[in-house]
Amino acid sequence: MKNLLSVSKIIKVYNQKKSPALDEVSFKCKQGETLAIIGSSGSGKTTLLRIIAGLDMPDSGKIILNDKSINDQNTFVSPEERDCSLVFQDYALFPNMTVRQNVSFGKNALNNPKKIQELLELTKIDDLENRFPHEISGGQQQRVALVRALATSPSLLLMDEPLSHLDQELRENVRSELINLFRKTKMTVLFVSHDTEDAMAMADNIVVLNNGKVDQIGTPIEIYSSPVNQYVALLFGKTNLIPLEFIPDCKHHFFDSKSKEEVVSVRPHQLKITNNDSIKKSKSFACKVISIHYKGAYQEAKLEFKKLLLTVHFEMNFEIQVGSSLDITFKES
Amino acid sequence: MNKFYRILKEELFFKLNAWTIISLLVGLFIFLPMAEVLWHFTDTADSWEHLKETVLGRYLKGSFILVLGTACLSIITGVSCAWLVSCCDFPGRRFFEWALILPLAIPTYIAAYAYFDLLDMLNPLLVWIRTSFSINTMIYLNDVLVYVVTILVLASVLYPYIYLLARSSFSNQGSQLIEAAQMLGHSPKSIFWRVALPMARPAIVAGTSLVIMETLNDYGAVKHFGVPTFTTGIFRSWLGMDDISGALRLAACLMLFIFLLLLIEKGLRGGAKFNIGISSSQPFKRYSLDLIKSRLAILICSIPLLVGFIAPVMRLSFWATSNIEKLFNASFLKLIINSLSLATISSFVAVTVAIFLAYVARYFSSSSVYTSNRMAILGYSVPGAVVAIGILLFSGQINQLNGWVLTGSFFMLIFAYLIRFLAVAWQPIDSGMEKNCEQFNNASRSLGSSTFKSLIRVNIPLLKNTLLVAGLLVFIDTIKELPLTLILRPFNFETLATRTFDLTTQGQIPESSIPALCIILVVVFPAIWLNRQMEYKK
Repeated sequence: MKNLLSVSKIIKVYNQKKSPALDEVSFKCKQGETLAIIGSSGSGKTTLLRIIAGLDMPDSGKIILNDKSINDQNTFVSPEERDCSLVFQDYALFPNMTVRQNVSFGKNALNNPKKIQELLELTKIDDLENRFPHEISGGQQQRVALVRALATSPSLLLMDEPLSHLDQELRENVRSELINLFRKTKMTVLFVSHDTEDAMAMADNIVVLNNGKVDQIGTPIEIYSSPVNQYVALLFGKTNLIPLEFIPDCKHHFFDSKSKEEVVSVRPHQLKITNNDSIKKSKSFACKVISIHYKGAYQEAKLEFKKLLLTVHFEMNFEIQVGSSLDITFKES
Repeated sequence: MNKFYRILKEELFFKLNAWTIISLLVGLFIFLPMAEVLWHFTDTADSWEHLKETVLGRYLKGSFILVLGTACLSIITGVSCAWLVSCCDFPGRRFFEWALILPLAIPTYIAAYAYFDLLDMLNPLLVWIRTSFSINTMIYLNDVLVYVVTILVLASVLYPYIYLLARSSFSNQGSQLIEAAQMLGHSPKSIFWRVALPMARPAIVAGTSLVIMETLNDYGAVKHFGVPTFTTGIFRSWLGMDDISGALRLAACLMLFIFLLLLIEKGLRGGAKFNIGISSSQPFKRYSLDLIKSRLAILICSIPLLVGFIAPVMRLSFWATSNIEKLFNASFLKLIINSLSLATISSFVAVTVAIFLAYVARYFSSSSVYTSNRMAILGYSVPGAVVAIGILLFSGQINQLNGWVLTGSFFMLIFAYLIRFLAVAWQPIDSGMEKNCEQFNNASRSLGSSTFKSLIRVNIPLLKNTLLVAGLLVFIDTIKELPLTLILRPFNFETLATRTFDLTTQGQIPESSIPALCIILVVVFPAIWLNRQMEYKK
């Protein structure tokens, strides 16, 4: 599939005395793909999104959308001329307009009333047409913002923290609704989020930003199971950084600048209790249970192995006691 | 340097379009008359040496004492009243909360006329000084009294500028910091001096800047009490001695004096931060005052209200009742129509230009348009007399270029009000846009909508209330304006303000009470409404 968006070597400096907000950021997004840009606060993800939307200008770098350069040294296509639409974090629904007026506001939106109707029905907000934004719920507002952006028929849909304003239950519902909508409309989507769960669930590919630089690009499973550094490993949840010397057969490892040695990122669920004596002798770690915390669906134990403190998840029905000894092994899959 | 070139490139190559070009030109055009005044600062003039040797020192001293005294007295009055009504609870607090803004409706020159005989009342004291001490002591004391009375009169009607902004700042500080100070064992007195007051400093400084500008702008009151200031000097040079270059030099000096004050304030502020970025939703729980303290609070709030509003209005009303027959005639009706129509047109023009300039700068995030906006609103910090001279020079040059006679025309007067009061409209509109429209403009651009459509369908409807507030502020200022109107009004064209001034210069102070009361009446209702809007917003 061809590349719809190509971002190369984008640099943005706000304060000369500080490190750049974006430092030579490059990546590509294929037609029909959902791409997530992930990073902690201040990593530059919203700046990057605003630059792609044309709301901010980069200091240097090039952006190509639909084979057309929209940003380079001599070109700057204004936001209204770009073939992309942005759904804002807090939706930015015009408070003085009804839902119908909001979704019809975009360029050329009125040329295709049938499409608007379809989108309203698809997102199940067709009965809210005459309400004002403050008269509908957060989830409904989110859908109105989405329909408003899609009604302009953009090639690329940009979303800034699409689910951050929703509570946990609504979040899961809207997440699956969005996945279905993107599939049905075959939309190319680029969204930024600090929530790795959203990225894992919705994205085909993920770009991890750290201090304005791209740390890793890959599919969710690649990034989760094979992080390239400690930042990426920890961004996607709890992990144990075990020195390579203890698991020398492990294929994926990286250099940890903190401990100054090669380490393997082992997720808590990847450590299992072993009863097999042959494995016990060769590949298992003899640990002592330090603490146990009940987490509802599972229990989380802190185990001491030599000088390492490992986090391991066990099923609720597994009986362990603080102070007891356990043999655990690592399953890479 | 690289950053400068990058911004320059962005401005020239990516942000230059019909909107930004027109906006830049409009901004620079409004700044032009003020630039004219500064441009002539270095001109050689024969009269300048004479002015320097004789009166310049007196003007400088007079302006300085007046500014210092009025600012200090206004700060003491405005801040103490603001603290009491926003942070303490006492009987009548809610009444004082709005009543204390009423002196804002009285222009400085009308307050001076209402107290015209205050100095005369002090004559027995001066006679006693002369007989008991010496004539020199009496002359010295008389000079001091002139300043004291003028400062008292000016501060009594100008303190609401500080009161309004300080009140809003105290109310918005919320409970968090004050409760933190309480938890750390500070008394209310200590919290006021060490927490609330330092946090309110930007608001107090902004209010004080307005008081200083109004003091320097005043012509009627200082002329009446005989205080030599730059503004009286400009009038004397221009109208009394027909010395254009002398007046220009004085005007330029005054502009530099003001810029110096603004720079000093900026320097004093340094890198301090006054906003901790916490938006406390919990309002501050007011201190409940005991009986003695409540009475003291009522007294503190009553004095400025009495001196700044009740006493002058009662005096004017008393004079007006004896001249009531002069109220109902055709010429007086014409005066009212002139003032109202002038103020309405000026408000409309100022709001239209302000929304256009602010919108273009914000929509295109253009720093060059924003700079030209800041230049265009400088007129508010420049006294009316200086703006008037700039306009006269400017219209003289237009006359030389293409023979148009614009001096003394209605058009020029409106243009002068635009220069003088654009800031009054621009500031609320710009901050309203920053607060309410920025994200919607981004959304609108992202949806591919046109610049004009965003302005008409998004910005104007969202800012409806702000536009009304901005328009009313310009309306109030235009109705009260005197020096600019005196110099630039068309021949035989009179407003309520100029009629009040003319009657008092002819010694008919009781007769001047009727137009003066009309000005107060026209201004007082919008002022109360604006105060309510501020409360509602809060």
